[in-house]
Amino acid sequence: MSSRFDTDGGRVFGIRTDLIEQFIDTVNRDLKAKIGVVIVTLFVIAAIFAPELAPYDPMAQDFTPLQAPALSSETPLGTDSFGRDLLSRLMYGARISLGVGLGAVLFGAVTGVLLGLVAGFYGGWIDDLLMRSVDVMWAFPWLLIAIMLVAIFGQGVWNVIIAVGFAYIDDFARITRGEVLSIREEEYVLAAESIGLGNSEIIFEEVFPNTVAPIIVQFTVLVARAMLAEATLSFLGLGVKPSTPTWGALLGQGRDFITTAWWISILLGLLIMITVLGINLFGDALRDAFDVREVDSE
Amino acid sequence: MGLKQYLLKRLIHSVFVMFFVVTVVFFAVRSVPGDPARLMLGGDADPAALEALRQELGLNQPLYVQYFQWLRRLLTGNFGESIRTGEPVLGSLSQVAGPTLSIAALGMAIALMIAIPTGILSSVKRYEIEDYVSTTIAFFGISMPAFWIGIVLILVIGVNVDPIPTFGYTPIEEGISPWFRSIILPAFAVGFPYGGILMRMMRSSMLEVLNEDYMRTARAKGLTSNLVLFKHELQNALSPVVTLAGIFLAVVLGGVVAVEIVFGIRGLGRLLIGSINRRDFPLIQGTVLIISFVFVLANIVVDLLYTMINPRIKYGGDE
Repeated sequence: MSSRFDTDGGRVFGIRTDLIEQFIDTVNRDLKAKIGVVIVTLFVIAAIFAPELAPYDPMAQDFTPLQAPALSSETPLGTDSFGRDLLSRLMYGARISLGVGLGAVLFGAVTGVLLGLVAGFYGGWIDDLLMRSVDVMWAFPWLLIAIMLVAIFGQGVWNVIIAVGFAYIDDFARITRGEVLSIREEEYVLAAESIGLGNSEIIFEEVFPNTVAPIIVQFTVLVARAMLAEATLSFLGLGVKPSTPTWGALLGQGRDFITTAWWISILLGLLIMITVLGINLFGDALRDAFDVREVDSE
Repeated sequence: MGLKQYLLKRLIHSVFVMFFVVTVVFFAVRSVPGDPARLMLGGDADPAALEALRQELGLNQPLYVQYFQWLRRLLTGNFGESIRTGEPVLGSLSQVAGPTLSIAALGMAIALMIAIPTGILSSVKRYEIEDYVSTTIAFFGISMPAFWIGIVLILVIGVNVDPIPTFGYTPIEEGISPWFRSIILPAFAVGFPYGGILMRMMRSSMLEVLNEDYMRTARAKGLTSNLVLFKHELQNALSPVVTLAGIFLAVVLGGVVAVEIVFGIRGLGRLLIGSINRRDFPLIQGTVLIISFVFVLANIVVDLLYTMINPRIKYGGDE
């Protein structure tokens, strides 16, 4: 446990160093964890360095390569119907898909963790009110939320982030509340109260740091799910604007050429699958390392 | 707390949930930037038609009056009608219910048929080859978008296997066999990812039960291992899976909508996407409400199943 009343254990960016050591141990021990780390690293590199790695501008339209045979050396994956290089769009797509995935879960996490902290710490009617409101979200199919938001506010990256992330608020709220309820009884919280620390100081400096492990695990698992959700929305034409290259949108557009160029759909699907698989393996490794039980309310 | 009190509490809670959903949907749709009448009819609509629509939708009245009128109409079972076709929302939904429910139901059945046997196998043979194969399949399942599985199935099976169509839906009235053939691929595409999630749940739930004291007692009593497995373990291990099955109705629904589009099936997906493209707000609003109500009901049913499978559960206890 870490707290100001506790002398051992350092932290990096607020995460206890022993958790990081446990994670490195798990990765060394477990082949699945290694695969997950490799896939996630490659994906993040492709996303960050897309402008440097991509051979062409993803928005530039050039119809000359259409004459070149598909799978030529110039445009290895061919171009789309607007003459935009598919490989370049794919690399930029990694960037947007990752950004939307991270953004959506971050939105859900910040909102949900705050709700969970307050509900668990204060208890009583505040707890009842907050958790019953969260129950409402639980009863609501996320796709409908997303469709409604898109219908009202139109397509766009931010709308997708909020639409997808909204469905994750209750996951984070429930997990955080559960953790807070047990931490609240710990002696260091009592100690903090007895030296007269304010509630917000106790919540953010004593309670929150000790809820981090399960939240990180849930975060990782949900990033994988958010990327699938984004792909589904974009595929339905309810995601980002059609010209923005996300993997789901590219897959949707590839479907129009399924008879002439089936490999576009297959390749994009495989990419989504491998990436999501990598993130899931990564999340499982974190779960093992942090010794977090799989939650029923997932 | 007794069962009756618990049910009553659940019902009151559900009414609260539905009221909340109704309110959110009302204000969400009313917060559309600009004039909804103009949005629905398009920029070049003639002023008389605009005024008529405003009158019809009650847009000229203050917001709270509109809200209470809306509540009153809902209470009488009137969910509004499409402004394009004039058809009641319930009517439009009942037309698409056939394909969507068929695919969702068969999809869930497939998911359970995948999840329960592989989940049991992989917990009983933990760290053996059966476990690795099952968990790997589950991992792939949870990592693929359902609609993409649909595309792959069309390319691999639909195109090559003659009796399986790649397109469209045959109603059950035209025969069980054509109906089944028309939904088997979409249902598998929906069910496989869902099966992956359930399998992982089943496995960890079984492993947890295996370590319980009563399992050791059962074995010590000399019960044969198969009897122990099925009588004691499965009953307890199923409970969390049933809860999860309810929650993941949402996942199935999301999957069905996209998969229907892939297979060109006129179901809920086509209805929703179409109503958005045509900016048919009353239709969107009504559809969202009806599906939410179905959801709330489904969750109550799941809760009941849960208490039936596991009678020791404390009603309304801390979750």
